Amino acid sequence: MSGTTAMSGVSVPDRVGSVARWSAAFVGSLFVFGLFVAARGEDPIDAIRAIIESAVGDADALGETAIRATPLLLGALAVAVPARAGLFNIGGEGQLALGAVGAVGMSQMLGGSAPTFVTLILMALAGAAAGAVWAGGAAVLREVFGTNEIITTLLLNYVAAIIVTWLVFEPWKDPASLGQAYSVELDGRSRLPVITGNRVHLGVIVALLIAVVIWLVLARTRWGFRLRVLGGNPEAGRRAGFGVVGLTTGAMVLGGALAGLGGMIEVAGVEGRLRPGILVGFGYTAFLASWLAKHDPLRAIAASLLLGGIIVGGFGLKIATGLSGGAVDVLTALILLGVLGFAQFREAI
Amino acid sequence: MLLESVLTGAVRGGTSILFPTIGEVIAERSGVVNLGTEGCMLTGALTAYAVGIETGSAWLGVLAGVAAGGALAALHAFMVITRKSNQIATGLVITFLALGLTSLFGQDYVGQGVNALEPVSIPGLADLPFFGPVLFDHDVLTYASFAAGPLAWWVLFRTRIGMTVRAAGERPEVLEAFGTSPALVRYGAVIVGGMLAGLGGAQLSTAFTLNWSENMTVGRGFVAVALVIFAAWDPRKAMAGAYLFSGSISLQLQLQARGSGISRYLLEAVPYLAVIAVLVLLSSRRRHAGPESLSRVI
Amino acid sequence: MFKKSVRMLALLAALALAAAGCGADGSAGADTDDEAATSSDGDVVVGFIYVGPKDDFGYNQAAYEGSQAVDALDGVTVIQAENVPETSEAEVVMSNMIDEGAKLIFATSYGHLEFARNLAEQHPDVVFVHQGGLEGEDLPNLGTYFGTVYEPVYTAGIAAGAASETGKIGFIYAFPIPQTLANINAFTLGAQSVNPEIETITISTGSWCDPGLQAEATNSLLDQDVDVITQHQDCTKTIIEATEAAGAYSVGYHADASSLAPNGWLTGSEWDWDATYVDITETVMAGDFATSEYNGDFRVGLQTGENPFVQSAYGSSVSDETIALIDAAREGFVSGGSPFAGPVMNQAGEAVYAEGEQPTYDEVETMDFFVQGVVGNIG
Repeated sequence: MSGTTAMSGVSVPDRVGSVARWSAAFVGSLFVFGLFVAARGEDPIDAIRAIIESAVGDADALGETAIRATPLLLGALAVAVPARAGLFNIGGEGQLALGAVGAVGMSQMLGGSAPTFVTLILMALAGAAAGAVWAGGAAVLREVFGTNEIITTLLLNYVAAIIVTWLVFEPWKDPASLGQAYSVELDGRSRLPVITGNRVHLGVIVALLIAVVIWLVLARTRWGFRLRVLGGNPEAGRRAGFGVVGLTTGAMVLGGALAGLGGMIEVAGVEGRLRPGILVGFGYTAFLASWLAKHDPLRAIAASLLLGGIIVGGFGLKIATGLSGGAVDVLTALILLGVLGFAQFREAI
Repeated sequence: MLLESVLTGAVRGGTSILFPTIGEVIAERSGVVNLGTEGCMLTGALTAYAVGIETGSAWLGVLAGVAAGGALAALHAFMVITRKSNQIATGLVITFLALGLTSLFGQDYVGQGVNALEPVSIPGLADLPFFGPVLFDHDVLTYASFAAGPLAWWVLFRTRIGMTVRAAGERPEVLEAFGTSPALVRYGAVIVGGMLAGLGGAQLSTAFTLNWSENMTVGRGFVAVALVIFAAWDPRKAMAGAYLFSGSISLQLQLQARGSGISRYLLEAVPYLAVIAVLVLLSSRRRHAGPESLSRVI
Repeated sequence: MFKKSVRMLALLAALALAAAGCGADGSAGADTDDEAATSSDGDVVVGFIYVGPKDDFGYNQAAYEGSQAVDALDGVTVIQAENVPETSEAEVVMSNMIDEGAKLIFATSYGHLEFARNLAEQHPDVVFVHQGGLEGEDLPNLGTYFGTVYEPVYTAGIAAGAASETGKIGFIYAFPIPQTLANINAFTLGAQSVNPEIETITISTGSWCDPGLQAEATNSLLDQDVDVITQHQDCTKTIIEATEAAGAYSVGYHADASSLAPNGWLTGSEWDWDATYVDITETVMAGDFATSEYNGDFRVGLQTGENPFVQSAYGSSVSDETIALIDAAREGFVSGGSPFAGPVMNQAGEAVYAEGEQPTYDEVETMDFFVQGVVGNIG
């Protein structure tokens, strides 16, 4: 965070060095990934080509990458905002899932009675509220009892997943599902419109706009400035008379709301109903995306596209080689190791 | 009797969480958090299973699992100590890496038979009412885990090595002044922590479940990290934490088997809610129990 | 900070270009293999997606082995993807397969159905078959297929009921989906056919494969004096070995695991998909799918043919008398009977199927209750 501001003023040779380090980190991680692929008896070049073709090979592939990156971006912002205040939100997973729950609940409450635009706005608000409550719970526990938010947000992910399972097997189960466990399909007014291709929905644009807004809030408002001060040095924040509790809680709640909105967008734009496996794994990937972007909302766009692309690339990889589905996790992890350890400025321990 | 069953289950299922918890206490005492504990556990589970199959020796498997957990922790140490990357983020990355690698290289071992670490009943004691099944009818690693907490406490608080580790976590500058590199000490503590996480994973795959499947730790390593706070960074109390979690799992399954009629979804959430609830109750007291350097990290 | 984003995007683009370059280099020579995978040389491409690892020693592995029989056909190339979750990701993966030239796709997990249906609407030239679900909507290029799993589970229940001395048998399952409920009920009814007092104690793990929970669930059942344990899980090894170690009897599922339980193995049920998969593939290749029995909800059970879900070999402790009972029950199913022939009571003692009544195959697949004698709650 303080590193980011320091970097704005770097000289030209430093910038060249930075590009070199980033490139080395990416090439290095691809190389190590290739070694692992080769160790499994597959051709690394074929594997990497399969990933890239599947992620960015044609318009459909690019669309899929954008679709996948959308909840990741909002999940990353959910990490970035609290991180500015020095908090860790590892609960994106649960907040995304509950955002989907909130949105579906709102849609069912409205029952198609409101016009599309109003329905979608209310669903977004409900999703954001649900995510905010989930994150806010962890924030309150932190402020009132001093319970570490890393631990609570992490453990609450498991609870959120159980809530989703319960809903789709019990109260929200679609009676016409012929045995399948999922909620009733969202009505037409509760679906985000497709803007291009078969599946690319309006949520992609919304997420981009929100990233810009969050960037402005963090970079240009007094609130954002205070968060940064607090994250850099809590004592200074306290001495400056900031309402520290309000700031940190607010950051966490805003983070949860962003993740919740991500959940709403996924369910209204892609899934169309609540199901047991919805958004599983997205929260953790989003956490990594935020770190890749050093909690900068604009860079989080690129980071989400990269990690989303790797996931989508993994689909092609699975089909083209016999490699297990976990193979792309290795690539993601290696890129993160390269970036965290080598490309980014060092943080003090 | 419900209590006996739940406690027996708590001990049986708790070993694989207890070792990683103690390991993470040691790492955090030196000033490093390792969320990669989950990954170290998973790696230990697969390595122990695979080496056990390839060599035909369960004990060689356990050793390999310990080594693999330590190796992955060494990567974490290198990243956060030498490359100064963020501990929390790096830990999650380490877990991601382990998930991917064990999925990639574990394919050949799914469902394969392994030489198990069999339970060894302690003659005489195993027949005691209540205490027999709860304490004296387990595998050797579980017996070892009974001693691990007190032993780790003794090393940390009663030996020179332990003092050095704690100094790295509390006053690294003092350690430095006396000519010992806090970085080196932290490397050691993190690697030992990873080895214990690997040991927990090895127990899970080769003694408790006799199985390998993708992501078979399902968050047990994360829970171990949570339990460190519960234990107030005291390895002796790690046991209570580990058994709280495994005991909650055992309780929910026992209640199902007794036809309790309680919602299965609620029961499933019990272990996580129990850990959160206890942490909340204890955290006002334990807030300042942690090593000084950690407060700068988390 | 805009600059940083631009730089990262530029790097991404560079990466893509570099890899595209690799692709261009590769396509000159080494690409012939790749070409063979698409339909350019006349091979029909058949895709398979699995919800878990294809070597899970259970449900997914059984499907994978069936796919290998399809791959062995002349003029067929099989492409696969494992670990495909039951979310819209399944739709994306199957789309990728269509891009690779797939003309027939086997969606092998229960929750893949909706996504197969969506794609079937968009791609009338591609045939989708789904394992285990009900089609719901009449599309000319979509069908479902399944065995009647509960028939061999019922007969295995007979073996369990005969073996149990305590009158308590255990069933570990993942989620209360209709297939599982039908299995639990069939197992119970089979056991009750030899011992009306039998109780089936159920535990759900909330996961298709969590060995840690499985081990403890097995122990919880054993604590209740259960002496026969079976399951509906994707990975089965942990439960069978824990049961064997306790000296109790095992009834397997998905795969023959008798080697894991040399003393306690009774029997089990396992998949043999080869014939069904091959026949579906040949039907599609001949262009006859739309008019075939596979275009709909194809259920093969003992009434209608060879059930792909077959009973495993017997363990040594199963008596000739029990085997005779099982054979008789199977004969009954072949000649039109059902494990759920009335009267069947639910847990509250109400008759769900009255005397003389029996559900159709389709009706069984929406089952939502436990029969009398099952301990446990669905919700």
